[in-house]
Amino acid sequence: MEKAKQRNKPKYTMWKNAVFMMALAWKQHKSVLILCIVSALLAVILNLIELFLAPMILQKVEMSAPLVQLFEVIAVFVFSLLLVRGVQAYINENTLFGRVYLRLLLVRRADEKFASTSFPNTENPEILKHAESASRALSNNRAAGEAIWETLTDLGKNFLGFLLYLMLLSTVDPVLLVVTTLAALVSYFTSKRLNEWGYRHREEESRYQKKIAYIQSRKEDLQFAKDIRIFCIAPWLDDVYTSVVKMYRKFHARAQCIYIWTDIIHIFMTFLRSGLSYLYLLDLTLREGLPASTFLLYFSAIGGFANWITGLLDDFSRLHKQSIDLSVVREFYELPEQFRFEEGEKLEPVLDKAYEIQLRHVSFRYPGAESDTLQDICLTIRPGEKLAVVGLNGAGKTTLVKLICGLYDPTQGEVLLNGVDIRRYDRRDYYRHFSAVFQQFSILSSTLAENVAQSADEVDWDRVQACLEKAGLAQMVTRLPQGLNTHIGREVYEDGIELSGGEIQRLMLARALYKNAPLILLDEPTAALDPIAESELYQKYNDFTLGRTSVFISHRLASTRFCDRILFIENGVIAEQGSHEQLLQKGGHYAELFAIQSRYYQEGGMENGEL
Amino acid sequence: MANSKKASLREVMHLNNRAFKILYHKYPRLFLSGGLYQSLHALSPYVGIYLSAQLINELAGTRNVERLQTWVLAALCSAAVLAFLEAVLQRWQTYEYNVAREDINSIYAQKMIEMDFSCVVSSKTQEDFSQIRQNANWAGWGFPRIRDFFNSILQSVFSACGAVALTISLFTARIPVQNSFAFLNHPFFAILMLGMMLAAIFLSACCNNRASVYWIQYAQQAKFGNRFFSFFGGLSMDRHRAMDLRMYDQEQVCRSYVRRNKSFTPGSFIARKAKGPMGMLCAVGVMTSVAFTGAIYLFTCIKAWAGAFAVGSVTQYIGAFTKLSGSIGQLFNLVGDLRGNAAFLRTTFDFLDIPHEMYQGSLTVEKRSDCKYEIEFRDVSFRYPGSEVYALRHASMKFRVGERLAIVGRNGSGKTTFVKLLCRLYDPTEGEILLNGINIRKYDYAEYMSIFSIVFQDFKLLAFGLGENVAAKSKYNRMRAESCLRQAGFGERLDALEKGLDTYLYREFDEKGVEISGGEAQKIALARALYKDAPFIILDEPTAALDPIAESEVYTKFNELVGDKTAIYISHRLSSCRFCDTIAVFEEGAIVQRGTHEELVAQPGEYAELWNAQAQYYRKNGE
Repeated sequence: MEKAKQRNKPKYTMWKNAVFMMALAWKQHKSVLILCIVSALLAVILNLIELFLAPMILQKVEMSAPLVQLFEVIAVFVFSLLLVRGVQAYINENTLFGRVYLRLLLVRRADEKFASTSFPNTENPEILKHAESASRALSNNRAAGEAIWETLTDLGKNFLGFLLYLMLLSTVDPVLLVVTTLAALVSYFTSKRLNEWGYRHREEESRYQKKIAYIQSRKEDLQFAKDIRIFCIAPWLDDVYTSVVKMYRKFHARAQCIYIWTDIIHIFMTFLRSGLSYLYLLDLTLREGLPASTFLLYFSAIGGFANWITGLLDDFSRLHKQSIDLSVVREFYELPEQFRFEEGEKLEPVLDKAYEIQLRHVSFRYPGAESDTLQDICLTIRPGEKLAVVGLNGAGKTTLVKLICGLYDPTQGEVLLNGVDIRRYDRRDYYRHFSAVFQQFSILSSTLAENVAQSADEVDWDRVQACLEKAGLAQMVTRLPQGLNTHIGREVYEDGIELSGGEIQRLMLARALYKNAPLILLDEPTAALDPIAESELYQKYNDFTLGRTSVFISHRLASTRFCDRILFIENGVIAEQGSHEQLLQKGGHYAELFAIQSRYYQEGGMENGEL
Repeated sequence: MANSKKASLREVMHLNNRAFKILYHKYPRLFLSGGLYQSLHALSPYVGIYLSAQLINELAGTRNVERLQTWVLAALCSAAVLAFLEAVLQRWQTYEYNVAREDINSIYAQKMIEMDFSCVVSSKTQEDFSQIRQNANWAGWGFPRIRDFFNSILQSVFSACGAVALTISLFTARIPVQNSFAFLNHPFFAILMLGMMLAAIFLSACCNNRASVYWIQYAQQAKFGNRFFSFFGGLSMDRHRAMDLRMYDQEQVCRSYVRRNKSFTPGSFIARKAKGPMGMLCAVGVMTSVAFTGAIYLFTCIKAWAGAFAVGSVTQYIGAFTKLSGSIGQLFNLVGDLRGNAAFLRTTFDFLDIPHEMYQGSLTVEKRSDCKYEIEFRDVSFRYPGSEVYALRHASMKFRVGERLAIVGRNGSGKTTFVKLLCRLYDPTEGEILLNGINIRKYDYAEYMSIFSIVFQDFKLLAFGLGENVAAKSKYNRMRAESCLRQAGFGERLDALEKGLDTYLYREFDEKGVEISGGEAQKIALARALYKDAPFIILDEPTAALDPIAESEVYTKFNELVGDKTAIYISHRLSSCRFCDTIAVFEEGAIVQRGTHEELVAQPGEYAELWNAQAQYYRKNGE
């Protein structure tokens, strides 16, 4: 919401957003709308009953009307109260579910948008903020995406009530109504103005809150538990915590000292309004000899009239706020895409077909960076070729892979698949051509089999089993109580199992095998493995890529000797390329680095190791 | 959600009372302000009810202008004054509450920090803890509810008292004897009215309870639904998942999971019940109390009609009697809420009552200027709590200060476990660890910790000042912090920082804080280890993310800095450890080999195997 304010103007107005929500309800779940209308009507009716109840009964008593009449009045009122309150209670019990359902539909749409948006968007801080604001606007029952129903209901109720009371009070001196309205307006707007202090200082407040939460969460965090104990960090944390809480206290003391003025003004305005209505009504009653019950009726009606006005003002300002949030959501849905999806050309991966990938004068610069990460890369990956990309940390290897598999588009130049610029295709179809294992991965909180098959509906059990075996997980599977149906991770299922780093690596490999795509990409994932596990995995990857077009990335220069060609990347360019032997003979940087790396592993290298 | 066992009323009271005591002790002013506000707030409406009744009486009666003026003035002024007092008290209460609301979680945080490490990491603790947080976030169950209870008890009690004060005369005012309704003067009718009130309250509470049973039945599913949607809803926001999400079209998979989950659809269990029995029960509950209101009207009006009191008093009696039944009803419902909360509090106290199991001795560690310390592992075995597999088996080893020890082995071979036992994050299951011949359990815990500096694989820095991070304190020796940073190789970056040691790390605490790279963080962590100046320094693979060359540089550099202290290095990259005096090789929890690199590589065994696995890439002929 804060962000929305800073962004220029919301694209959609209050009315457009209200209509958008009502149209959504109309299409997806009509009862939400119907329940809103019914609740508003019932609330107004209830209000009227309560308004007339006491004066009507009093009137009968006051006039010493026949007892039957008194009974009749009581019976009518109690019966209508029974009916209205009963129906109201029933409806209240039922409003929640449809609203939650609609909100979850909106959430789903936002998720789908962000899960499929062009990859560079996921790294763009502006868009990330936008996504966060959108998801906050839909995050719970009180967020705009659901609370708007309550606001709309109240708006209907207050508007209807306002009209009815206006009619009811039409016989009263208009001056009284004007004063009542003015008092309500003054009280409302001054308190709004004063309450804006909180809005203006919300960043200060959330800064304190974040700090408090930060320290608390560090104390609770498993990851910090060791360091906290070894370095006796607790007193330090407490010091900082105490000082933050002290500042937070001061902040709220300041806030309440300001807010109390809203109460004072409100009290004063109520005093004015009530005083004036007493004066006027008493005068009227005495002059015209009205019964006490009429006095009571009018006096309550004027109070009620003020309430409707305050209610209306309040609803509009709530609707305004919620509309800003909803606009953020809708703008997020409509976020422009730089990649083509549905509108792109269709493309079907065919396993036996020869695929050639070509990078033509490709340069890439990260948004906001001062220099290119990759410069003028020309590269053809021939069908069936096993290509290795090596280089030190930060040389640009991962960026190159992301360009090849279409997660980035080049800043300059083009990436071609069999001679066609990949930007023309539906990007989702292009992705289907790759079996990839990256350094970061997304394991779903579902069953082992579904994680391998990446499908909830169609799982080829034999193939899953075969792929797990090839990836070296067969033994682990036999140990699992529910075999392939065991849940992975504890986020959703409490009976899920946590995998070790090595098991995750193998699972990712099995998943890539299952996908069985014509092109294979492996971004070195062995950093945290011990030497033997690492060596085993290299072996597996080697077998797995046999006879396919594949790209293998490593910072361990020599691990890729099984590849046909090695690209040595340095400072964003292909510094050298060729087979391992060719590169060594060449005596360039590759050979030099290889010599350094291998020194640690050759006997007699200690003089250098000792430094 | 909560333990399913139903608590007895005594236990319910005990649990809630205990929670109240803890909170009252922590936030006395929150309860003081709340109590004052609630009592005033409960009583002040009766002033208005009483005064306006008098006004109406006067209007319905003699219409004396002077008296009318007095009543109006009294009504206006008392309303304003009471509203002002209420406002002041409420602001005070809000202030106290806002602070307490943020602070309340520190109760758990404090417990976490005081707990034995082995308890912190136990999955039971973590689950309890996440339950407590979830319950609190869900509907404020557990501790946060206590304040609501306190307020609502005070509110109902005071409200009931005020109501009684204003209703007594309803029963004492007598209908003139000649009236045919004079029989209503009989005390039986007072009892009848009260009886009806209690019956109505009881009935409507029964309906509500019956209705809420469905929510309890649904709780399990709702909780699962929440976990489900927070996982699948948060998936796309997790940056680490972004690539896989696209390459494997995981969005499609999520979509079908979501479609299948019916927890929150209009056809869900609870929505169906709401349409049927639940909604009906709620309606009946409300209607019961409305029916009782009807009875009050009838009784009061007849008495007024028959001349027991003036018309104005009808509004007073009806208003007050309705409030009486409301506040008693509230107290009644409270019992149910207290019972509900007790179940959640049980989890809270399970967590807060986790005992300190580690024995703590009182011996001080001799601060020796010559740093002559000797550590001995004597036949140490260790199983992680809840595990049946030994992570360490019969480990025996001795090492002396000044030595350089390397620990190598595969993943899961027990390297890190060894270190955790050494620095008493855990106690051995069998065997003992001795410092200078005395079991380490006999030392004071803090004292014992003071002889270790460790840089863990997953070391953590805090988003506070750089200097504070080096010293791990808020007040520290700046000279020493700076020199440690320089020694750790952070000097150049330090000079580039405008605020030097006062620069904040990360952005959580200071928007002008600096983001540091993994390599820089590591240097700061090394500086922190140096600043502590402990006789034992341990490096537990803090460099796994670096390439082999960089790691090796860090290790050799560090070796110089350590000077005459004892250093223990853990790595799976054997090349980094070649300079050590002794290398201990771990395999499946046991120390299988010990010796220098030259000795070990010459003999067949685990070490040679590990070595060859890495060295194969660098052999000249490539075979």
